[in-house]
Amino acid sequence: MVNSMLFQVVAKTAVGAAIALALGMLVSPVFGWGFFSVFLLVQMASHLGYFLRLEAWSRNPSPDRDLDGDGIWHEIFSRLIRHERQLHADIARRDQDLKQVAAAGQAIVDGIVTLDSGNRIGWCNRTAERLLGIDLKVDRGLPIANLVRQPEFVSYLAAGDYSRPLRMSIERQEDRVLSVHVLPYAGNERLLQVRDVTDIERLDHMRRDFVANVSHELRTPLTVLSGFVETLRELDLEPDEQARYLGMMFDQSVRMQQIVQDLLTLSTLESSPPPPERDRINMSALLANVKRDAEVLSGGRHHISLQIEAGDIYGSESELHSAFGNLATNAVRYTPDGGQISLYWKTEGEQSIYSVTDNGVGIDPKHIPRLTERFYRADLGRSRETGGTGLGLAIVKHALSRHQAVLDITSNRGEGSCFKAVFPAARRAA
Amino acid sequence: MNESTHVSKQFDEDLFGLRTHVLEMGGLVESQIRAAVGAYASGETGVVKDIVESDHRVNAYEKIIDDETVTVIAKRQPTASDLRLVMGITKIVTDLERIGDEAKKIAKGARRVHEHGLPSLPRAADVRHVAEEAVTMLRDSLDCFARLDASKAAAVIHADAKVDSEFKATVRQLITYMMEDPRTISTALDIIWICRSIERIGDHAKNVAEHVIYIAEGRDIRHTGKEA
Repeated sequence: MVNSMLFQVVAKTAVGAAIALALGMLVSPVFGWGFFSVFLLVQMASHLGYFLRLEAWSRNPSPDRDLDGDGIWHEIFSRLIRHERQLHADIARRDQDLKQVAAAGQAIVDGIVTLDSGNRIGWCNRTAERLLGIDLKVDRGLPIANLVRQPEFVSYLAAGDYSRPLRMSIERQEDRVLSVHVLPYAGNERLLQVRDVTDIERLDHMRRDFVANVSHELRTPLTVLSGFVETLRELDLEPDEQARYLGMMFDQSVRMQQIVQDLLTLSTLESSPPPPERDRINMSALLANVKRDAEVLSGGRHHISLQIEAGDIYGSESELHSAFGNLATNAVRYTPDGGQISLYWKTEGEQSIYSVTDNGVGIDPKHIPRLTERFYRADLGRSRETGGTGLGLAIVKHALSRHQAVLDITSNRGEGSCFKAVFPAARRAA
Repeated sequence: MNESTHVSKQFDEDLFGLRTHVLEMGGLVESQIRAAVGAYASGETGVVKDIVESDHRVNAYEKIIDDETVTVIAKRQPTASDLRLVMGITKIVTDLERIGDEAKKIAKGARRVHEHGLPSLPRAADVRHVAEEAVTMLRDSLDCFARLDASKAAAVIHADAKVDSEFKATVRQLITYMMEDPRTISTALDIIWICRSIERIGDHAKNVAEHVIYIAEGRDIRHTGKEA
């Protein structure tokens, strides 16, 4: 190929030069050699011109720039342009691929950071930027430990044991928990996977609490019960002593029954179909019932008033009865003798509101956000003493939320409390 | 800045390692303050012991970094921006070490307040708020150091005024409590010491930011008022 081109050039030049020489010789030898030289010079100049063109083009090679020539130059130039075009297409395709990989990285829900062998940041997606406080534009190439500086993370990274992820709280956002995991790949490269596990952590915590609480709540009466059974079996007791013990055992078994009953109520609320949308509840009858129950529990120790200003609503009568009843009995339990409890059924704008206001012991505001958690108790001793199961408000909240209603609690220590169930306009009976 | 490579690759590694150590130390100090303020706000004083003990680690970092700076200066005779970086680091380390000491003081103060103090003093919200500002300042100043970002450092320096004024407001409030009821004095004094430590942390964070500006731009803006 090269040889044939070389041959072409040499042959063309030789033949041309020979013709020039021969034509010149017809006039005189001086003319002959003159023609010969001029021909070679012209040849030379033409090659030089093409060479200059190539030189200029090679400074900024592009398939679109004009590069054309004759003869062998034409062949060389078109080959170069073809090669250049191929190269451009390859690069474009690779760019596309890279872009797609980067887009896939962005689409991943977790945060992803690629690290080199020195733990320097190579690339990261936006989730990682947000969670770890990285700004890829400025931070590329910085060791990640310079920006994520929590001692536990630094030692995790340094220890080199990446078999399990690390859980850590983020300094940049209060109360968020991250799970970070280093995954080695391609030799020395590492992938840092970051996941926001705050919600999972919270759920885990609640579940653990719940199981522990159920066991604890059931164990306490059970211990008492088995203690008494043992006493009755081992000792020969007087009949009235025996009757007293049996009475206490009965109380404990009632307590356990209550807890189990409340747990069942809760799980029924969780699993049953939504409450009916078009069943009218006779509110005045229901509230009168609630008031009567509260009076029975109070035994005349409190002043209980009922005021009805709003109309009926749609929903499940049994669920609302248990919710309203729970709120009223809570007020009775936590209000000292002689206290005032008012039940109020009213309308405010489009909403219907059931409120229970007492002037009892009140609740420290710091407990309010957690009051409706199962078995959460603001005051452990008092709650059990008064016969609470720790599930009442959980049931209330659940029953209300099934009616799209919200529970609103305002209280301060020593200033009494106000529990409000706020129903949306959609629940109002026409 | 400093990212330009040197003929000796080892020199780059040394400088990078030095910076990383400073930032690790900063991270440790940061988590100490967080834990101390958390202990104060929540009353869970069990962590106080850990905080006091982890101060050894801060001190160990200080010694390691000082050794490393001496080695770098002796072996490499750094010039220009490298010299500024090394000098800046020695100063930043001093500030970080002091912040660690303040964290220790806050932790101990928290224990005193919760074990002997009067529960009637309102104490959590304000102090926590000021502490949050100071910790943010420290975090931002360390971020600036990691990125050698002088403009962000200037913002940190301005934030110090806010911490100072909030500190003064808290002190004024506590004084009114002390005047109303002399029994609150000892607890209020403890709380004031805690606030004082927080305010000092703000000052040290500001110093760190000033050193960052020095490292990044070669301007020494200490004691020059509001030029930053």
